[in-house]
Amino acid sequence: MARALKLALLHLYPVALLLAAWEASVAAGLVRKILLPAPSAVFARLFELLQTAAFLEHVAQTLVRLSAGLAIATALGLALGLAAAASHPAGRMIQPLVRVLAPIPKIALYPALILILGFDHASKIALVAADAVFPILFATYHGARMVEPKLLWSARAAGTSPRACVFKIVLPAALPSILTGFRIALVISCVVVFLAEMISSTDGLGHLLIRAARAFRTVDMFVPLVTISLLGLALNALVAAGRRRLLAGYGEAR
Amino acid sequence: MRLRGLLSLPGVPPLLSLGGLLALWQIAAGAIGIEGLPSASSVIASLPGVLFDLESLAEIGASLQRMALGFAIAVATAIPLGLVMGRSRAVAGFFGPLLTLIYPVPKAALMPIIMLWFGVGDFSKVLVIFLGVSLPLIYHSYAGARAVDEKLVWSAMAMGMPARRRVFSIILPSALPEVMLGCRVGIAMALIVMVSSEMIARQSGVGNLLFNSLDMAQYHTVYATILVIGAIGFALDALFERVRRRLTFWGETGEETVAGGG
Repeated sequence: MARALKLALLHLYPVALLLAAWEASVAAGLVRKILLPAPSAVFARLFELLQTAAFLEHVAQTLVRLSAGLAIATALGLALGLAAAASHPAGRMIQPLVRVLAPIPKIALYPALILILGFDHASKIALVAADAVFPILFATYHGARMVEPKLLWSARAAGTSPRACVFKIVLPAALPSILTGFRIALVISCVVVFLAEMISSTDGLGHLLIRAARAFRTVDMFVPLVTISLLGLALNALVAAGRRRLLAGYGEAR
Repeated sequence: MRLRGLLSLPGVPPLLSLGGLLALWQIAAGAIGIEGLPSASSVIASLPGVLFDLESLAEIGASLQRMALGFAIAVATAIPLGLVMGRSRAVAGFFGPLLTLIYPVPKAALMPIIMLWFGVGDFSKVLVIFLGVSLPLIYHSYAGARAVDEKLVWSAMAMGMPARRRVFSIILPSALPEVMLGCRVGIAMALIVMVSSEMIARQSGVGNLLFNSLDMAQYHTVYATILVIGAIGFALDALFERVRRRLTFWGETGEETVAGGG
């Protein structure tokens, strides 16, 4: 316990240093408070807002879009990645498609998504899904391709059907890679949902930033930014912990 | 057999899938039949209108110029930082936690704050691209410098190679494949941050062009501009991939994910 605490302190000292320097330079009047509020002011405001229903409502809207988009991306990425790795014809279909679509900046599709799906949830969810699907697809494909062929041969020899092999062998063996891809997709989703809400929305954390910017309230501009970043960090840590737990039996968690 | 030979030519499968996507779009547009989704053929027909319009061409050019500048500054600063982090524990221990903290911050979302500080000029626009590109560059350079075979370094030290030459003859070449991979992610990131920050700031550039035509209900221009941006993204990636393969033919890093959120 003491060792863990020491380790945490060792890791956190640069962060503490940065926050202290930021706080001190605001307190000393080196930067104007109206341009850069002190971290203490931002966090105080965050705690204050966390007790209001209105703010939590915005957070909830963001989370709904985030989780819906991520869920779609996960299902699609897993299915396409497994299909591309398991079957040759599917791979020949999916690979060039991915090569065309992956390098396109998905955010540019957002106006089209608005035109097709409207200004509400659906267009933002679609954008999150479009951005998050590729890391999961790549990770699934690579994980599934790395599966020890001997495992598959033995299972097939023992009478497991090809379909059962996918669920009993390929998927578990690819799990470490898939979870890594999922973590990347998660952080991307947080970023994208926030940007979409900034670009066109009437609610959500991103909209709060734009609203505060229009009213020139700097503290309120930092609060949503800090919230989405903390959310990203927390969810990321959660998945990392879940991954360690799930992969406890894998010997070496990559 | 001739068909199969044709299919295995390098550029053909992506072209085929592009054609398939356009066909799908054409069918979907016909089936849905809303004004917000014009057919692929009519959008392609309106492409020259966007590409040869001097005003929008100038916007696209200015955007790409800012993107190149932000990327170049990030290459000049982030790669050295990442490499030093990979070779020094103390430096990595200091910057590592800070970068972990910055990692989930949406960089393009900083645009309103950056504009508040530095105005609406080019400086702000370049800065936000620089911020977005830096993180993947630092990360991959760090990973590259960490992966240097220590035995090579020790042997060089034992043979009395001076530190400066060790950097240029051993560490840089060993780290290069991973650094180049970081550059590839960085290019994708630069384009993403450029477009999204312009969409947020609504000042100038391609992102602004997109939403202006959306607001004016010029749906064909919206879709044509998206096609242009998509083509830029694809072309930059393909071009860089060529350069990367030529420069780092010894590295074994294969296909990697190009993904970013901005």
